[in-house]
Amino acid sequence: MLRQAAISILVAALALSASARTRPHYGGTLRVEVEGDPWQRPGGMARRLVMDGLTTLDPDGAVQPALAIRWASENDDHRWQFWLRPGVRFQNDAALTGAAVEASLTASCGASCPWSVVHAVGASLVFTGDSPMPNLPALLADDLYLIGTPTDSPAGLTGTGPFALSGDLGNHNHARVLANENCWRGRPFLDAIEITGSRSVRDQWLDLSVGRADLVEVPAEQMRQARDQRLTVIASPPVSLLALSLSDSGALANPNLRAALALAVDRTALSNVIFQKQGEITASLLPASLTGYAFLFPADRDLDKAHELRGGVTPPTLTLAAEGGAAMQLAAQRIALNLHDAGFSVQVVNAAAPQHIDLTLRRFTLESSQPQAGMESILRAAGLAVSIRAQTPAELYKTEREIVDAHLLIPLLYLPRAFAVSGRVRDLRLGADGTPLLDGVSLSDVQPDAAP
Amino acid sequence: MIMTPMKLCCMLATIAFALPAQQAAAAPAAWSQPAAALADQIAAILGPGQAHLTLRNLSKLPADDIPAIRRLLEDDLKARGVQASGAESANTVRITLSENLRGRLWVAEVMEGSETRVAMVRVDAAGMEQQVPASGLVLRTQTLLTTTGPVLAALETADALVAVEPEEIVLFTRAADGWKEQARAAIGQRKGLTQDPRSAIVFTHDGQGFEASLAGMACAGSLQPPQSGAPWPMHCRASDDPWPLAPSQTSPTSGDSNATLRAFYNAARNYFTGVLNPSAGVDLPPFFTAALLPRPDGAGLLLGGINGKVQLIETSALKPVTGTRDWGSDFAALHSGCGAGTQIIASGSGEALSDSLRAYEIPALEAIPSSTPLTVDGAVTALWTAPDGKSVLAVVRHAAAQNQADTYEVDRVTASCN
Repeated sequence: MLRQAAISILVAALALSASARTRPHYGGTLRVEVEGDPWQRPGGMARRLVMDGLTTLDPDGAVQPALAIRWASENDDHRWQFWLRPGVRFQNDAALTGAAVEASLTASCGASCPWSVVHAVGASLVFTGDSPMPNLPALLADDLYLIGTPTDSPAGLTGTGPFALSGDLGNHNHARVLANENCWRGRPFLDAIEITGSRSVRDQWLDLSVGRADLVEVPAEQMRQARDQRLTVIASPPVSLLALSLSDSGALANPNLRAALALAVDRTALSNVIFQKQGEITASLLPASLTGYAFLFPADRDLDKAHELRGGVTPPTLTLAAEGGAAMQLAAQRIALNLHDAGFSVQVVNAAAPQHIDLTLRRFTLESSQPQAGMESILRAAGLAVSIRAQTPAELYKTEREIVDAHLLIPLLYLPRAFAVSGRVRDLRLGADGTPLLDGVSLSDVQPDAAP
Repeated sequence: MIMTPMKLCCMLATIAFALPAQQAAAAPAAWSQPAAALADQIAAILGPGQAHLTLRNLSKLPADDIPAIRRLLEDDLKARGVQASGAESANTVRITLSENLRGRLWVAEVMEGSETRVAMVRVDAAGMEQQVPASGLVLRTQTLLTTTGPVLAALETADALVAVEPEEIVLFTRAADGWKEQARAAIGQRKGLTQDPRSAIVFTHDGQGFEASLAGMACAGSLQPPQSGAPWPMHCRASDDPWPLAPSQTSPTSGDSNATLRAFYNAARNYFTGVLNPSAGVDLPPFFTAALLPRPDGAGLLLGGINGKVQLIETSALKPVTGTRDWGSDFAALHSGCGAGTQIIASGSGEALSDSLRAYEIPALEAIPSSTPLTVDGAVTALWTAPDGKSVLAVVRHAAAQNQADTYEVDRVTASCN
């Protein structure tokens, strides 16, 4: 309860910052620092500044038109048509055409697209699938499907977003984007955004404290520390699912062993010790706030039942890898100890190691507050391509129950995404997936820009 | 975009009294239908017999409602042949009153031996209304319209209300329970919207229609609802024409009582360029807001510059106004008849935790508060003088709860003498 209250306070603080009473000024450069790559997905902040999708999710997670102004499905969601917004131009002034969108989408996901075929029909795109695609409008908002086209410019790529890449992306440690004066969404308030990547959180906070950065990351496990340091922190609701992804081959081809692993993990300890009580313990794929039935998935550790399910079988040493930074590595070590208590021998290995990995600790972003689309996006990211067609809460529960009971993905925690900002940042809001929405940000200390 | 005409509700601002926030809890009768539906599903699983019934509340339902819901469920189950019994029963029905972002969800876990089956029903969220306290020259606000999308400007007559949204113009007519949407037409901008879209709307000279100005666009339409089946006569065109600044009776710059003072708007930004029509006779800075103000020598024009400074044009001179540090970017003139007769209603600067509206008089070149701040439960995003000058219309954005859409209110602000 206290944890939820703390997050609520942060979200409330975010809402306050978004309730500007003086109109924003144009101009200025926002300086952002991140641990990862500013450009590469998932999470590359610059991508969404430069490129738009056919659809987008509003801060509440609802699907909204973007480069497509409307869409319709036929044939029981096997065929979708999306009509393009007229008059949109890329930053290099080339017109947005169906052919350009088709080429971009085809290049984006290759053989693993949710559709079988996409082709341009005039100023529209037609997607056809071998299986129904009920959540396609929401899926197309994913940054995997942002629309860009290659150019001869130093940046090598142009999009339709509110900012254009300035110069070469170089080694991806630094991205500078400039306001797109002719953006179909309107010219952003900021003149430029500089995103510096590969910056440790400690260095980010240092730069924020001395005025060299305006927006820095706050990992969930350091939110308490950030508040202690009196940083202005804004946090999303829990949108980042920490889960164990299990192989269904080798020793873990045995479903009972997978079920035993799920019962052996001590989620409470993970939450309390590693993530400083900043998340929500979960055994369901979707958070309680989306479904209302998460309590039907017990998250308690049950070593006795885990032993029982293992049935005396001692599998060979399992390999466990974690994707991400220090907290994820620590979490992996702790999970290995948990599994050892249940009779498993687990070796924590490097995720990049060229060997068979039985268990991978991963984070998945809940991108939509539409439960069906949110679940499908998580499953796709996990490599479990399942089309979620549930219409009612009971149907959705049944689907989720079947997926969770397969124990190929063991949900552990839902974590918020958080950022700290300098006092000059105005009107920062976080998207449905916790990403900062920088196109609406302005700076309070810029001299008013009187020139159009 | 869904528009929800809202029943008029008044809020009275006084110094001494703050109305307590009220939340309307749903009447227990509202639970009859979901209780019956859940009982149906439980009975279908269990069949006739006995079951131990437990009930827990994980939702924000008031504890006072729980016994009534339990009674409803027991009665409904009994009517379907399932008798609530003690814990010794082989069957257990564990009912959880839960909720998600979209509403309430009631879940029944039906346990027969080692097998558990689940039933659930969705329950519509009960409406909740909030009143905000205020204090008070006494300012009152009256909510005309509540929407889930931004309203940039609105124009109200006795029978019609026209609301300008970023991409559409909507006509409402008065109904017994509030404003009812009659027609909606796209503005059809060819260029993208600005990040902080704005608009102005005034009556046509004959009073039968309206003229709306938006960034790069001008629209005109009828205040009459369309005949059945006919399209609403509303047309928009690309335009860089200056926008009407206020329902002007007398232009402070020309003295022409028939002229409407207009100003050129920077369609790529969110402010007026500083060029007026007719000309002010002095070079003006770019400004967000302007309001006409009676002055001893005629009319003055109060400008809220994009640099945050408020200045007054009178007798062809531009003079700084002090006492405006707490003002936001929006203000409008209100001809209340109280005090000096005309006040400036200004939004708050954002320094306080919540937005507010406050009346000021400017007898010389200093703004002097003439009311206490009226707290607004949201952010004022637009403010303009109504055509009769006797009220000010404000758009207030209410920040949404987590994962819900912001809502917007069009409020009429009036003042009464104290």
